[in-house]
Amino acid sequence: MVRSRAERLADLAVYAAMLLLAAAFLLPVLWLASLAVRTQAEVFLGAARFIPEAPTLDNFARVLRDGGFQTYIWNTIKLSSLGAAGAVALAAPAAYALSRMRFRGKGAVMLGILSVQMVSGLVVLIPLYRFMDRLGLLESHFGTTLLYIAAGIPVTVWLLKIAFDTVPQTLDDAAAIDGLSRFETFAMITLPLALPGLVSAFILNLILNWSQFLIPFIMLTADETWPISVAIFRFAGSTSAATTQLLAAACLLAILPALAIFIVLQRWILAALMAGAVKQ
Amino acid sequence: MTDTATRPIADAPPRTTGARGGVAARLASGPLPWLLPAVAMLGLFYLYPVIEAVRLAFTDARLFDTETAFSMRSVSSLAGSSTLGTILRNTLSYTVASVVGQIALGLAIALLVVRAERARLRGTLVLRTIVLAAWVIPAIANGIIWQLLFSEAPFGAINSALRMAGVAPVAWLSDPGNAMLSAVIATIWQGTAYSMILLYAALKTIDTALYEAAAIDAARPWERFWFITLPHLRPALLVNAILILIMTLNMFDTILALTGGGPGRATEILSLYAYGTVFQNFELGRGAALSMLLLVISLTLTALLTLLLPQERR
Repeated sequence: MVRSRAERLADLAVYAAMLLLAAAFLLPVLWLASLAVRTQAEVFLGAARFIPEAPTLDNFARVLRDGGFQTYIWNTIKLSSLGAAGAVALAAPAAYALSRMRFRGKGAVMLGILSVQMVSGLVVLIPLYRFMDRLGLLESHFGTTLLYIAAGIPVTVWLLKIAFDTVPQTLDDAAAIDGLSRFETFAMITLPLALPGLVSAFILNLILNWSQFLIPFIMLTADETWPISVAIFRFAGSTSAATTQLLAAACLLAILPALAIFIVLQRWILAALMAGAVKQ
Repeated sequence: MTDTATRPIADAPPRTTGARGGVAARLASGPLPWLLPAVAMLGLFYLYPVIEAVRLAFTDARLFDTETAFSMRSVSSLAGSSTLGTILRNTLSYTVASVVGQIALGLAIALLVVRAERARLRGTLVLRTIVLAAWVIPAIANGIIWQLLFSEAPFGAINSALRMAGVAPVAWLSDPGNAMLSAVIATIWQGTAYSMILLYAALKTIDTALYEAAAIDAARPWERFWFITLPHLRPALLVNAILILIMTLNMFDTILALTGGGPGRATEILSLYAYGTVFQNFELGRGAALSMLLLVISLTLTALLTLLLPQERR
């Protein structure tokens, strides 16, 4: 196809806009990276020294050598993955029932589960603080994980229902004729066939949990129990201009795992986001 | 046996060993055991706390006292509070500016990406990935990153760049008026990706034949946008608006890390105020009333926007 002169001009304009946007979205992260590899002296040169003359990995080494940082990362991995696994495990049967069974009040159940998303974490955490305290779950990873799971359930039920809807009903019927119970059908037929959807939902939960701040911020006050989100916030509050490069390094290390997961598994995350978007 | 094959499984008789039947077996064959784990978690960690928050709002509870008495003080003290007025004005301007910004920029990028894909321009995927990467960054880190960018120290990113360009530095975070703008910019930078991907998905569902027909009718680009794209995007835009609105209204992390609500109360929105009331002033009753206000605003706005959705999408 031969493109007209006007179309090629328009393409050029599109390119220019794309470049501008890419810069706007990249620069803040590049600035963080630039600060993270500077010496203290070069931090004070500001934008004049975007690419440092004497780049150093010292800041990363200092942050990583700090035993606390490793604990924070480990806590984040633990809370994020257990929270994601729990949400998928508890949401899957509910999503299956909503996808396959006909029963009274189904619309109300779905609406109820979705409307939970309108409730901010803060609204529930205020009364939950005393409740969890009475149960002895305050300051514990177990109690915190339960809240991560609860927060992940609504969107996970929704995503898994969409995933189960794509598995043909005739397979269930065939399994029933072969004498499989409902649960066997679910576990042996539907779940394996909906695996891509399950993986997408797990990864989306993982990413959201990595960013989770409010729940651990309120539930956990002991330094050694913090995930990285709470730790970098506390660290930011205690730093001065002289330690800007360390804060930048810690911040970059905190977001790198989430960025890496996203870039490697982008296809799955987009599938989850777009499934939710189109079907809503 | 053809009717067995076509009969939906939901109507199949329960496979429990008949004699032990009764209520328990009927419940077990229904949806209840399947729904129970998820619903119990939501009941325990969402429904119960909301009910408890309503109860607490009508008490004089303090965070670390167990004794509470019925009191209208928490609720009535809010009615005449001038602080609350400031907080609500902040919440309104922050939410409106951030939501409009996120949707407008998200739509612009989605249109650009679709246009670039149609022209098979290279780098489209890269742009989409870069924008989405911002969304993956934890909001608390987002606040810290923008604090480093807006830093008013001589070496702060934006101000030192401005000085190199010969422009006077700007008090991004210490001036009350600018601080709100800075918070909005940081929020839009991170949140735009979500709007973009939702609207991008919706744009992809519009039948290209419509645009071909429009081309035959020699429709101008803005006419194509106004008469084809926008009407088809309406449901997606509204759903997007609801989701973004709820997220922005309840935003906590970005502002906490960026300004902490300051200077003074210049960027203190309802969520930060409720948090401070409970966990810094220990006024649990008053904080519960504030969080209920936040919930009521969220639900009302959601309901209003839902009414605008076409019937079949509700």
